[in-house]
Amino acid sequence: MSDTVGLVVGTEDSTPLKFAVAVAPDAYLQLDDVVVTQRVIPGVGPVMTSGIVTEVRSRHEGASFGSDVFLIADGVLPAQVQEIAEVTTTRVDPEVYVPPRPGEAARRAAGEERARALYFDKMEKKVPVGTGRDGEPVYLNLEFLNGVRGAHVSISGISGVATKTSFALWLMHSIFRSGVLGGGGRNSKALVFSVKGEDLLFLDKTNVRLDEELRADYGVLGLPAAPFESVGFFAPPTPQDPTGRPHVSGRTSGVHAFWWTLAEFCAEGLLPYVFADVEDERNQYTMVVHNVATKLKYEAVPAGLDGAVTIEGKTLRTYEQLVDFVVEQLGDDSTRGSWAGPAIGPGTANAFIRRLISSVRPLREILRGDLQKSDERVVSTEGQQITVVDLHQLQERAQRFVVGVVLASETRRKEAAGTGSLLFTMIDELNKYAPREGNSPIKDTLLDIAERGRSLGIILIGAQQTASEVERRIISNSSIKVVGRLDPAEAGRPEYGFLPPSQRQRATLIKPGTMFITQPEIPVPLAVEFPFPAWATRLSECLPHELGESPAKSPGAEKKPAANVFTRLPPTFDDDEPPF
Amino acid sequence: MSYSVEAWDPSYGSTFAAEDEDGLSGSKAELEPDIEIPAAEWRAIGPRKGQNHPPTVLFVDGVRRVDARIWIRSAELDDEAALGLCASYASGVVVCRHDSRGNSAGIGGSDVRRGLFTTALEAREIPAPAGNYRAHVTDADPATPLPALLSALLQQRLSELEISVAVAARDQLEPSQQDEDLLVIDGPLRGRQHLPRTIGYIKTHHSRYLPSELNQLVSKLEPGYRTPVFRMGTNWERYSWYLRLPYREGAPWAGIVRVECSADLTAADAVELAYLSQSVLVRYASDEIKDPRAPQNLYPIAGLERELRRRLGNPQLLHRSLRTRRG
Repeated sequence: MSDTVGLVVGTEDSTPLKFAVAVAPDAYLQLDDVVVTQRVIPGVGPVMTSGIVTEVRSRHEGASFGSDVFLIADGVLPAQVQEIAEVTTTRVDPEVYVPPRPGEAARRAAGEERARALYFDKMEKKVPVGTGRDGEPVYLNLEFLNGVRGAHVSISGISGVATKTSFALWLMHSIFRSGVLGGGGRNSKALVFSVKGEDLLFLDKTNVRLDEELRADYGVLGLPAAPFESVGFFAPPTPQDPTGRPHVSGRTSGVHAFWWTLAEFCAEGLLPYVFADVEDERNQYTMVVHNVATKLKYEAVPAGLDGAVTIEGKTLRTYEQLVDFVVEQLGDDSTRGSWAGPAIGPGTANAFIRRLISSVRPLREILRGDLQKSDERVVSTEGQQITVVDLHQLQERAQRFVVGVVLASETRRKEAAGTGSLLFTMIDELNKYAPREGNSPIKDTLLDIAERGRSLGIILIGAQQTASEVERRIISNSSIKVVGRLDPAEAGRPEYGFLPPSQRQRATLIKPGTMFITQPEIPVPLAVEFPFPAWATRLSECLPHELGESPAKSPGAEKKPAANVFTRLPPTFDDDEPPF
Repeated sequence: MSYSVEAWDPSYGSTFAAEDEDGLSGSKAELEPDIEIPAAEWRAIGPRKGQNHPPTVLFVDGVRRVDARIWIRSAELDDEAALGLCASYASGVVVCRHDSRGNSAGIGGSDVRRGLFTTALEAREIPAPAGNYRAHVTDADPATPLPALLSALLQQRLSELEISVAVAARDQLEPSQQDEDLLVIDGPLRGRQHLPRTIGYIKTHHSRYLPSELNQLVSKLEPGYRTPVFRMGTNWERYSWYLRLPYREGAPWAGIVRVECSADLTAADAVELAYLSQSVLVRYASDEIKDPRAPQNLYPIAGLERELRRRLGNPQLLHRSLRTRRG
């Protein structure tokens, strides 16, 4: 059960929402400990006030000058060390909001009391998200994740140390494998856009660092320490490769190349996603974009099986050819009217042309009419539980195109399928796709998901370095807010107002693997540690036999010790993003 | 018992005009200066090199506070009401340890009492929130003004309490430490001469004990130096010496304290204690920026007094309870 750790102090005001506990000499309280006090009220009975330690102070009582500490250490001045823990109330049960009275015993809550203090007893479906500082599991209420009472997760933190992506994957692992989804779990999917290296291409491989200790950590939370089971990987085709091999280096099998055929591009009207930059929306040529898209839709005729199109008798096999063709039509005074629309001046048309030509380089690898037809090239969440779309080889403009097109098609598919299952959509660098200022087709899709996705069963898991730069309506629609290590300047922004001052300060120094999680039911964010991934996050973490044959031999894999001192470092790959 | 509480705060004195409470009569003490050094050769004595510091030093002090003056009405209506002092007093010990386990100072024991000091025979115990006022009745003495008499009675109780607290604190020490400790009593030994290894520590000087030719030495003492041990007394006897504590600047007698020990000791033992006091007391001397009574008000005693005054309780609460509970 619970043990007494101190008494409620009387030198500071005790209120129903905040009180302080003097810690007994042989006890201790640390930040995030759960504390319970009880007060008997006539006619009501015992009222339990529980809370979380948000600050602990220690000072010399009997010392009046800073230099007195030397006298005290020298055994000259008598003084006493006293620790005071400040407790922020999480729950008053029954709801009689009376302050805990000075002198009442405070206990460290455990077991049933801890669960009550943190509202775990009220959660019908609990998703384990990690362990608290006391090593006990901390849960999220599924009803705030699956759209019943709320949806969407917003994860903020500095790149590199905040472990945003790891946490998002861990959360999905927990949702899918804890059995909390019940029958609908089998049909629930996740769509993950990977923008940082090939980290996410090994989700289905066991991590070599998975040992008994780590298994035990997963065991505490009731989760299997296993990699993801049903994962599909998509990567763009290798440039200048006529066979359309996926452009990945670490993983050689199980990755599908994805591209859109020119026929699809024209028929589905994907041209607006080429102009998905924020600045595009402010310019006059948006009119031209829509006119050209419509023209392509009606004029383009599929040619052959590989996705090439014929427009006005001309067969176009590559995106470059398509762009050249459109530029030609717009440049010609006789055809400009029918392509760009009436009353479009050459200046506006030229602005469009400039932007269109600059899109050739980023997009020519994923808009093809020259590759052999393949059924596996379509990014879809249908065949597997988790779909990873690797974008890191693509330029930013192409990343926007892929995210926009995939999200729109998946949203359409989900809308048609109904709400029986869930689709979790994980997007890193959300500030790039849904910035606070401006408009873009992707932002429209994301806003639609944020505001309507709850009822459609589309759950957005957004990660960003700075929540202050993401569209406010997306953040405010997120029921679950997660914060990792924050930049001190960022921590002071109003977007993090849900963090009490002491936690805000702590957020600037928490270590990787620790997150503050706030959910609607618990008034104080909980500090949570989540275990190291059980799945590999890079090639070097894969078990060799699971990889099969690996032509991409890294220098570290060679058994012979080389003279080069860098061989002691973990193996690196050419395609790894530089860490700056 | 029926009484009424005087409305004035006791610190302002009584509305009843009393005689000067401080009725100390200067005693013409006999003096024997030749204990350590013949009077003709008197000189300042410096600290002895290699003097051992005791592993445990105990400082005993007491504080007193008059919470209220009350007037107790006699059963017979025609009798005058009698004055009573409701006082809280406390005594405590600071145990300063300096041994292989490091240095530490802590309150080794303390006791808080409350008392009603009066001459009224009807006096009964008065309940109070934390400790009742126990009645201590004394006979009126025509030679002494009543407030001074009651004050002396309170002081006597406090002295008794100091002894019991000091003895209890010493008993709590480990046996190995008990033989090497030093007990420093704040104020004259006054009835506490029988405690072993005990010195009295007097900060304020009411009388001049030394003849003027010897007295000159006192104002010339360097910090850490002391006068030779002398013996004095008529109806009470002590060994005593003056010691100058480290100080920055001030009057000729700044930093001077008088230390005394029991006259039952041999002269050699007294000299040993004098050397010991030189090394011990200087260490605890306070700094003038921290204490208005520096350097004489030693750090442990200042800390103890602060703590004891706190433990006496809130005077306003006690005053209130006395007024609301009166019969």
